[in-house]
This record gives sequence, C-alpha cells and structure tokens, in this order.
Amino acid sequence: MAAEHLLEIRNLKTYFDVRGGVLKAVDDVSFTIEAGETLGLVGESGCGKTVTANSIMRLVPIPPGRIAGGEILFEGVDTLKLSESEMRKVRGNKISMIFQEPMTSLNPVFTVGDQVAEVIQLHKRLSQREIQDRVIEAFRLVRIPAPESRIREYPHQMSGGMRQRVIIAMALSCNPKLMIADEPSTALDVTIQAQILDLMNRLKEETHASILFITHDLGVIAEMAQRVAVMYAGKIMEGADVNTLFIEPKHPYTIGLMSSIPVLGIGKKEKRLSTIPGMVPSLFKLPQGCLFHERCSGAYTECGQLEPPMIDLGDGHIVRCHKYA
Amino acid sequence: MAENNIQKMSLWAKVTRAEDRHPFFDQIEKLFKNRTGVAGLIIISLFALTAVLAPLLSPHDPDENALYDQLKPPVWNEGGSTKNLLGTDDLGRDMLSRLIYGARVSLTLGIVSVGIALICGSILGALAGYYKGWPDNLIMRIMDIILAFPYILLAIVIVAYLGPGLRNAMIAIGIINVPRFARIIRASVLEEYEKDYVTAARAVGANNRRIIFNAIFPNCLAPIIVQASLGFGEAILSGAGLSFLGLGAQPPLSEWGAMIAQGRSMILRAWWVMTYPGIAILLAVLGFNLLGDGLRDALDPRLRD
Repeated sequence: MAAEHLLEIRNLKTYFDVRGGVLKAVDDVSFTIEAGETLGLVGESGCGKTVTANSIMRLVPIPPGRIAGGEILFEGVDTLKLSESEMRKVRGNKISMIFQEPMTSLNPVFTVGDQVAEVIQLHKRLSQREIQDRVIEAFRLVRIPAPESRIREYPHQMSGGMRQRVIIAMALSCNPKLMIADEPSTALDVTIQAQILDLMNRLKEETHASILFITHDLGVIAEMAQRVAVMYAGKIMEGADVNTLFIEPKHPYTIGLMSSIPVLGIGKKEKRLSTIPGMVPSLFKLPQGCLFHERCSGAYTECGQLEPPMIDLGDGHIVRCHKYA
Repeated sequence: MAENNIQKMSLWAKVTRAEDRHPFFDQIEKLFKNRTGVAGLIIISLFALTAVLAPLLSPHDPDENALYDQLKPPVWNEGGSTKNLLGTDDLGRDMLSRLIYGARVSLTLGIVSVGIALICGSILGALAGYYKGWPDNLIMRIMDIILAFPYILLAIVIVAYLGPGLRNAMIAIGIINVPRFARIIRASVLEEYEKDYVTAARAVGANNRRIIFNAIFPNCLAPIIVQASLGFGEAILSGAGLSFLGLGAQPPLSEWGAMIAQGRSMILRAWWVMTYPGIAILLAVLGFNLLGDGLRDALDPRLRD
C-alpha cells in the first residue's frame, strides 16, 4: 500500500465483559480517514459510535472493556500497541477529542484559559508567555470575542455555545492531525448548533485537520462530511461518499433512515413520517444472520441464517446486505 | 409598567453582577449570612489571636511559681487580687497566663493532627476512589479496622506505644482521624470520577496523578474543608482528653486538659483551677463546630436552595 491513510481501522473489535455475557459494542469495524477529510459516523444511540471513538483514543475502561481484535493505524503506527505513556503523547496532541456535553466537559474550578493552557503545557515545551499567546490565538481561532478577558472566565460564566468553542479551542490548541468530534452539536440549540458546525468546517479549512464526526443527525452529516459510514448494532452497514449515500442509499437500514427524515412542506395530513419498525436489537441478544433482518421489509429467509459479507459496489461504496451479493 | 421595568432592570443587574464573580465569593457571602457560622468564626478568631499574641497578652510567665500566692481565687471572690485576675493554681502560677498559653498548645495540636489526618486521608481516599478494585479494598478495609477501635482507646494505645508527650499525642490523634478524611474524599472522588471533565482530561493526555490531584481534587474541597473544621474541634477535645490522662502534654507545659487533671483533686477547695480550662476547651470546640456547620451550609451543594 503506497498511499498511507491518516487513520486506518482494520477489523476493530471492542467487547465488554459484563455479567450475563460478552457485549460486542464494536464488532469488526473497518474504515479509513484521509488527511483533510471529514468522515461522518452515523447511527442510533448505543450502536457503538462512541465506543469506536474511545477505542481510537484508548479511553475504553479496561476492564470491563477490552479490544478483542483489530488494528488502529494512525500515521502507520498501531496505537493499540503503544504504551500508556506513549499514548498520552498522542492524546490531545495528534488526536484530540470534542465532547458532546459542553456543560460538563470543562472542569468547573479552573478558568477556561487555564484549561486550554494546560493542554499546551502537557505537550509543548513553551514559556508561560508563549503559552498564553497560544491560548489567546486558539480563542481567536474559534471566534470567541474579546479573548484577552474571556480567558479569565470560569465555565459557569459562559453559555453552552461559548463553552463548546472553548472545548474546540482545547482540541485545536496543539494542532492535531485528527479531531474526533463525538456529537459536538447535539446538546446545543439549533442556531448555536449551526454556528458551531459552520465554525468547525471553517477550522478544518484553516488547519487541514481531519475530523471523525460522530452524530445521529443525518442533516448534520450532509453539512459536514465528505464520506459517511452508517453503523448499526456494532457493525458498519454501509459506507459511501456523502452524495452517493444521500442520493442512492443501498442498505435497507440507510434507506429507512433517509425516509424517516421529516421534509418541510411535504405530506402534512396525507403522509405520516415513516419510521423503521421494531427496535434496535439488544447487544446481549443479537439476531442470527443479518443484524437488521428482523426489521427489514425485504428480508429473505437467507438473511436470518447467514451474516452478509461487506460488498463493494465500486467507487468506495460498500454495503453489508445480501441483496447486492 | 414603568415600575415593573425598573424592577426587571434591577433584577437583571443583580444577575449579571452575581455572574461576574467567582463562586467562592458567593460561598463566603453565604457563610457570613449564617449566624452560627459567624459566631464560630468570631470565637475561633479570638482563640487564634490569643494563641499568636500570647506573650503580649499574658500578665505573667505561665510557668512562674509564687510560693505565697498559692490557690488564690479570682479577682471578684473574697481574697482575690488584681494581680491574678483568674486566680492561681496550687503552685501559685497565674491561671490567666496559663490559659492564654494553653491556647497555643491547643491550636498547634489542632493544626498538626488535622494536618496529618488531612494529608494522609486525602491521598489514601483519592487513590482508593480513583483506582477502585483492590487498592480501594485494601485501603478502605484498613480504614475500617482503625474505625472499629473506640476513638480515644486507639489514641491511648498509640501514645502508649510511642511514649507519652504532646508530639506523640498529636501523631496519635492524626492517625485516628485519617479514616474520616479518607472516607469523605473517596466518596467525593467516586462521584467526580464519573463527570465528563475527567474523561476530557484523559483525552488531552493528562496522566493519572495529574487527573487525581489537579483535576478531581480541587472539586472535592468543600466536604474536606467542613470535615477539617469539625475535626479541629474534635482534635482539641481528644488532645485535652489525652493530656487529662497524663499521656499528652507533660508538666509544666500549660495545656488545658492537663490543667483540669491537675485541678481535679481540689475541685471543692479551689474550683477555678479546673473550671476555667474546662470553659476554654468548651468554647474552642464549640467555635470549630459552629464554623464547621456554617461551612457545611455554605459549601454543601446538597443543602443549597
């Protein structure tokens, strides 16, 4: 392989040993992220998106969790084989994380400036003066007005949107190669959400960092990502570039998701919002065969017996469904 | 209408003003609104001031014997004189001076023993709460064993082992107070551990020591401050208890507990020798307890309205 991916995940398996069995939170997940690209990872709650992100950062608590198999190659190095202290040099420095809850992800007893400064201090050898300059620069980068005075504020003095900007500033402060954004806009209201997404897109242009963007919101994905992977019950069901996925979704699950997006102005009385019947299967009692067959309208008998392989449809469009075999 | 607007505006002004301050000041303000807390603070301030300024305040050398002034009653009793305002003990030493110097001993005892308990307890409790699993079990079971002994009895055992004296009494009281701090801090760390900012700290590459002591620990300070304040009073009481039993401060050091022990045999003849040190202990312990309660009301988020 000549072309090196920034991040390549091969057959990642993250399991949790809990009372009552093994919970396969992430099962055989593979994807790549290229430099400067945004990959969207979509799926319902509990499908393994966050566990995938935490596995990349090695933040899965062990035990009960364990990485049962696979490789996570970041710049060609398997991060799963790094020692804990080597991994600490990667976290926040080369790979950083943006969290879902801006209200609780900042430490309440320190000023926001100190918290950003701490990240720089951990990874770069700089004088206090230079660190402060970098903090102010990072605040400016995320468009926090009056950064010189805002760095002295405490998290409780800031609004949710401002706090999320601080968290993004923290993530950006060491010029990471990859940012993992775990539902960064979910806890914000819609207008702030739009601002933050817009900001992240602009920052990606400015810093050339790649983003792994995790969300359950397909509308957000359309705005942010170049390529999308759809996850269901710990497995990737479909992967494609964003246009292909929205125009020609192939997997019945993706099709179901697309048709359950409400469209403004259409329908009203005559058409109810369509939903996917049934429930996400419990990770303790995964169905035989295709994980989705119980909820799939076009399932054959085969679907309930054989697990479908990942099928390559060309142009980087992959799908895990028997229909396309 | 206009009135309504003004009301709204003043309300707004109040909100923004409160927002600009560090929450620490809100808690200080809350403490000052609490009458018992303020009473405790005043008593303790007087107590601390007395201890610090003892050489200036005391009219006599506390160890100075006066053969002809033995067991003189306080000034307002028959036979008392202005030379010894609170009378003298059986060796003719001035009671007031001894009480004033006794504040020094009690304050030192409180600081040292609470310091020992606070530092050891914080570290042990934080490690137990953070690492869970076997370190938690090991540390907390040892703490349980220490707590299983009657409080003063264990102190006596430790002092008996180390040898009597004020320094060893302080160490003993420190050790028996370790489990209280360890338990409180472990509980707070367990609670804080679940918060997102801990994961966030790990995600920026902080190591465990940094996460425990720089990120989590400052968030656990409120219950520690309260316990330290209450523990201070208790330590003084225990110290006086040990001295009363002859295991703490040794003569001629003027320590309140030892003074009570000394006056015990002559309570019917010279009640003041025993009564004043008793009142001093009572006031000091009361002060710390009142302050502790006030701090609890001000700092404990569960009691916040």
